[in-house]
Amino acid sequence: MRLLPRSLAGRLVMTALGATALALGFAALSIGHVLGRFVMHGLDERLDAQIQVVARAVGSDGTLHASRAVDVPPFDTSGSGWAWELIAPTGKLRSNSLGPADLPLPVGWEAPPPPGRRDRPDDPWRIRPLDGVDAAGRGVHGRVATIPTARGNAFVVAVGPRAIVDRPLRAATGPLLLSLALLAVFLVLALLVQLRIGLKPLRRLGTMVAEVRAGDRRMIEIAEPTELLPLVCELNTMIETNEQALARARGHVANLAHGLKTPLATLRLELAGRSGAGDAALVAFVDRMQRQIRHHLGRARAAEIGTKGVSVLLLPVLDGLAATMVKIHSDREIRWEIAVQPDVAVRCDPQDLDELLGNILDNAWRHARSRVRISAGRDGAAVLIMIADDGPGMTGAEIDTALLKGRRLDEAGGGHGFGLPISRELSELHGGSLDLRREGSDLGGVEALVRLPGGAH
Amino acid sequence: MRVLLVEDDAALADSIARALRAEHFAVDIAANGEDAAHLGETEAFDVAVLDLGLPRVDGVTVLSGWRLAGRQLPVLILTARDGWSDKVQGFKAGADDYLVKPFRIEELVMRLRALVRRAAGHAASVIRCGPLSFDAQTGQFELDGLPLRVTAFEWRVLSCLALRKGIVVERLDLLERVYEGEADPDSNSLEVIIGRLRRKIGAERIETVRGLGYRLVEA
Repeated sequence: MRLLPRSLAGRLVMTALGATALALGFAALSIGHVLGRFVMHGLDERLDAQIQVVARAVGSDGTLHASRAVDVPPFDTSGSGWAWELIAPTGKLRSNSLGPADLPLPVGWEAPPPPGRRDRPDDPWRIRPLDGVDAAGRGVHGRVATIPTARGNAFVVAVGPRAIVDRPLRAATGPLLLSLALLAVFLVLALLVQLRIGLKPLRRLGTMVAEVRAGDRRMIEIAEPTELLPLVCELNTMIETNEQALARARGHVANLAHGLKTPLATLRLELAGRSGAGDAALVAFVDRMQRQIRHHLGRARAAEIGTKGVSVLLLPVLDGLAATMVKIHSDREIRWEIAVQPDVAVRCDPQDLDELLGNILDNAWRHARSRVRISAGRDGAAVLIMIADDGPGMTGAEIDTALLKGRRLDEAGGGHGFGLPISRELSELHGGSLDLRREGSDLGGVEALVRLPGGAH
Repeated sequence: MRVLLVEDDAALADSIARALRAEHFAVDIAANGEDAAHLGETEAFDVAVLDLGLPRVDGVTVLSGWRLAGRQLPVLILTARDGWSDKVQGFKAGADDYLVKPFRIEELVMRLRALVRRAAGHAASVIRCGPLSFDAQTGQFELDGLPLRVTAFEWRVLSCLALRKGIVVERLDLLERVYEGEADPDSNSLEVIIGRLRRKIGAERIETVRGLGYRLVEA
């Protein structure tokens, strides 16, 4: 069986409640005890005063002077529970309340208390407490004084009803328990508030870790409480190590792919120099290997997660890509225009953005007859980029094929151009989309619509 | 036409060089960035093929260095890096074309010829000079509409003169663009080649400008 609950809050609540209950129980007991002693002390003083009065009836020689034993209320009232009795070697005196009967005394009442620290010089009679019941069976509390005389010890016993002590105690118990209960409620409330405040940084940490995992945040940024800092530091180091490992792994994939490309290029060149049926088959194999490499490189890039939150200005990216297209397609005379405000920015990894838009622009340049138009604008929180050409356009089926909708990239057979599916993957990875519209624009050809989260600049 | 081939993979470099020489190009190979930077800045080339991932100094740095030194030779980047970011970076550094490995050698040859032609200021692919025509895209010479058979050296000299038709090409410049770096040309060999070409296309087509060099003329 588990003693501690599984949650931190549960553990704190349990231990705190346990401690509070113990403390309150102890407080209740000790307050009750102190109160009881206080009330009992009052009774004792009253009884002792009566003993003082009665003791005057005992002479030093042991004789009794009944007239000196003044019987004051309530000791003179029968049935009041108050009574005294003077027992001397020469006789007895008793209060009126007792009538003719002796005060019922428990066995061994006259035994003097063992000598000890209670012996005080100002207490020559060594007054001691006595508890018992009176003739009516009610609880009484009494005091016994031992008065030494020439003829032996005389004893003065004074008793009062125990109820006089119990009544105020009972009366005090209600308010006492009530105030302790209020205190308990207050402590529990304070505990809950404390838990809320105390555990808040933990919840914040959890949220941040989730954000890091989702790629919305790179590092955990928590400056307090200081108790969490070692954990935050460890987590950040772990994130960094992870990033480095990921970068290394990606680097290895890229190196492997690039490393394979050069020998493949050599092989392709060697094969191109020969002609034979077998060589044609080898060329086909080389081409397939090349496609595989291109595909997996593309996948490795598309799988990158990390600097998603970077805001990139769109216009310089488009300018650079357009200039690149002009050079790459220098055999084609394409007029192009970019209609983008200089402050439009998107949230995307810069390299992914190059890749995403590069593939689409390459496609536009490839298929355009003479014109390519690039425009972009904010669309709510997103940015919509439109790339239109005046090429022959595509049918719906061709568009689905081009985007490999509903298929995984590595299921695709041959042919060239993994470009657009990679663009689609990249746009979706960054929380956007890519659509192709046939005859969407006034230019007549295909219009590519890229939607990406807007950035701030 | 002389090509500077910068490629650190020896097998690929040999393979490309062999293919280019078969197309009559003179080919010098640099296997690292330092050599490439030095060669490109000190010797005359018609075009350079530049790998990006190079030992010592990377390709983009080499290219930027050339452009900073005022070298205008056309440069084709031939690399395994096929990302658009790499391409944009390459063109920003001053590249004129970009080809991704693996590639077809025919495409490389075609692009190199186009680069050289455009660098010489010819928009059309066919250059005519009287009855002689040079298709800078296929590398074929024709005389009076019939294919003209030339050796590799003859092709290098004649293509160089054709691309600069009507302009005097200095003798030293011609020598540099005909012979590969390691060759030790006999000072008379250029005259021998010119003599053979004159016999093939007519002596009056190649004019000797004394103390300067040679010029391909219309008539």
